[in-house]
Amino acid sequence: MSLVSFVIRHFRLMRVLVVEDEKKTASFIRKALQEEGFAVDVCHDGNEALAAPSATPYDAIVLDIMLPGRDGLSTLRQWRLRHNTVPVLLLSARGEVNERVEGLDAGADDYLPKPFALVELVARVRALTRRGAESKSPTLRVADLTLDTVTHQAQRAGVDIELTSREYRLLEFLMRSAGRLCGRMMILEKVWDYDFDPGTNLVDVYVKRLRQKIDANFEPKLVHTVRGTGYLLRAQP
Amino acid sequence: MTIRLRMTLWYSGVLLLSTVLIAVLSYDELHERHERNRRTTRGMEEILGIMLWVGVPAVVLSVAGGWWLMRKALAPVGTLTEAAQRVNERTLTQELPRTHNGDELDRLAEVLNAMTARLNDSFTRVRDFTLHASHELKTPLTVLCGETETELRDESLAPAERERVASRLDELRRLTRIVDGLTLLAKADAGLIQLKLTLVHLDELVRDIFADTLILAESAGLAVHLPVCTKIVVNGEPHRLRQLLLNLADNAVKYNQPGGSITMALSQVNEEAEFTISNTGPGIAPEALPRVFDRFFRGDAAHSQEVEGCGLGLSIAQWIVNAHQGSIRIESTPAKLTTVTVCLPIAQAKPDVC
Repeated sequence: MSLVSFVIRHFRLMRVLVVEDEKKTASFIRKALQEEGFAVDVCHDGNEALAAPSATPYDAIVLDIMLPGRDGLSTLRQWRLRHNTVPVLLLSARGEVNERVEGLDAGADDYLPKPFALVELVARVRALTRRGAESKSPTLRVADLTLDTVTHQAQRAGVDIELTSREYRLLEFLMRSAGRLCGRMMILEKVWDYDFDPGTNLVDVYVKRLRQKIDANFEPKLVHTVRGTGYLLRAQP
Repeated sequence: MTIRLRMTLWYSGVLLLSTVLIAVLSYDELHERHERNRRTTRGMEEILGIMLWVGVPAVVLSVAGGWWLMRKALAPVGTLTEAAQRVNERTLTQELPRTHNGDELDRLAEVLNAMTARLNDSFTRVRDFTLHASHELKTPLTVLCGETETELRDESLAPAERERVASRLDELRRLTRIVDGLTLLAKADAGLIQLKLTLVHLDELVRDIFADTLILAESAGLAVHLPVCTKIVVNGEPHRLRQLLLNLADNAVKYNQPGGSITMALSQVNEEAEFTISNTGPGIAPEALPRVFDRFFRGDAAHSQEVEGCGLGLSIAQWIVNAHQGSIRIESTPAKLTTVTVCLPIAQAKPDVC
C-alpha cells in the first residue's frame, strides 16, 4: 500500500449521507455528525437518494424509512441489488416490531426507532464507520485501569477489582468506547441485550456501583456522567 | 323465569280454564236433559268420566305440544344469547347467526349484527386514532429531543441553564416512553404484533431479573428473596417476557417502603408456570384493585409517593401475558403486602429442541 493511499484511507474525512425528509430532524442530525468530525450530505427525497451512493463513496448512510418519492426500504433494496455495501442505519417513526427485522433483511446494518437520543445515533454511525477497526488486544486499558477480556480480571493501579458478570460487561463496553459518550439505550442493548426501554434506572444504578468499585479509592475519576445524555469513560475530567 | 316456561304455564292455565268451562257448560246441558229424563244420579259421574278420560289426556297432550312448540319457536333465542355472549371488542367482526326466515328473531339478529358493526366501527376508529396520534407525536418529539440534546452539547452553556435544559430533556424522554407505550398497546389492540415464539428457560430469565432487582433494591434499602426457582421451559418471546418480569420487579421496588422486602418465586402449578412477586409497601386500596391494569390508571400510592412512571406498565404487562396465553392477577392487603401472580402455559416437552 502506498503512503498516499494509506493517508487517504486513514486520515480523510468520513463522509455520511443523511436521507431524511423532515428538515429540522435532518438539520440537527447533520449538526451532531459534523461535530463528531464527519462530512455530512443531506438529501430529502427517496428518488434523489437512489443514485447518491454510486456517485459519491459514502462511509455510512442514515436513512429514514418514510420518505417522499421512494420509501427508505425500497431505496435500500435497490442499493443492495446494485451490490452497494455501504453501511446503512435505518430510522423509523413507525417503530413496528417487525420493522427492525424487515429492515435488517432488506440489508440495513442497524436500526433506530424515532424518537431517538442523538448520542445513540452518533454512536451507531461511529460504530458503522469503524467496523472491524476495534482493538483486538485482549487487554483493555484506560489510564491505570486494565481489563483482561480473557480472564475477566479488572485491575486499577495494580489492585484487583471484583466484578459481577453484568458489571464486567458494562465495564468492557465502556472501556471499548473509552472517550466517547455512551447513551443509556446503547448500554441497555449491549450489556443487557434489551431492545426496549424498560423505564427503570437500571443503567444508572449499575454505573453507580461500578463507579464505587473503580473510582471511589482512586484518582483520577474515570467514569463521568453527562447530564441528560449518558456516560463517558476517560482519564481527563 | 324463561319466556318458554312462562308461556307454557299461561297456555296450560288457559287450557285448564277452557276445560273447566266446557265441563260447567256440559254439566248445565246434561243436567237439563237429565231433569227431563228424571235420571239425575248418573249425570255427575258421566261428566267426571268425560273429564278424566278425555279432558286430562287432552290437557297433558296440549301442554306437551305447547312445550315443544315454544321450544321450537324460542330455540333461536338461545343461539342468539350464546352468540351475543361471545361478543367482546375482539370478536366484533363476527356476525350472529341468522335464519333468514324473516321472523321477529331473525330481525333481532339482523339489528344486533348492525349494532356490533357500528360498535366495531367506533372501536376501530378509536384504535386508529391512538395509532395515528402516537405516530404523529413522534415527529415533533424527535425534533424536540434532538434539538434539546443539541443545545446540551453546547460547551459554553452555564451550569444553571444546562440543568434546565437537561431537566427538559428528562421530561421529553418520559413523554417519549409514554408515546412508545401507547404505540405498542394501540398496535397490540389492532392485532399488528406477532410474537416470535421460541423455547424460553423461564427460570434463567427469573434469575437474571432477580440479579437486577437485587441491585435496584439495594439503593432503596430493600431485601430481595428468591426462595423457589423451578426449572421451567415456556413458549415465548424472550424480550417480551424479560420486559414483563422487569416491569413487575420495577414496580415492586418503586411501590415499596423503607426497610421493606420483595419475594419472587417461580414454580410449577398443575400444567402452568406460576411466577409470583410480592412486595411490602402501602399496597392498593380494594376499590382501586380492579382498575390497576387500566391504561393510565394510577392509584393513590403512585400519586402520593410521586413515583415516576408512565401509567402504562401494568397494561403492557397484561398484554404480554395475554399474548402468551397466560393470566395475570394482583392481590393486595393495604399497608402490608401486594402480590402479582403470572401464570404461563408450560411448553410441551421437545427434548430434541431443548
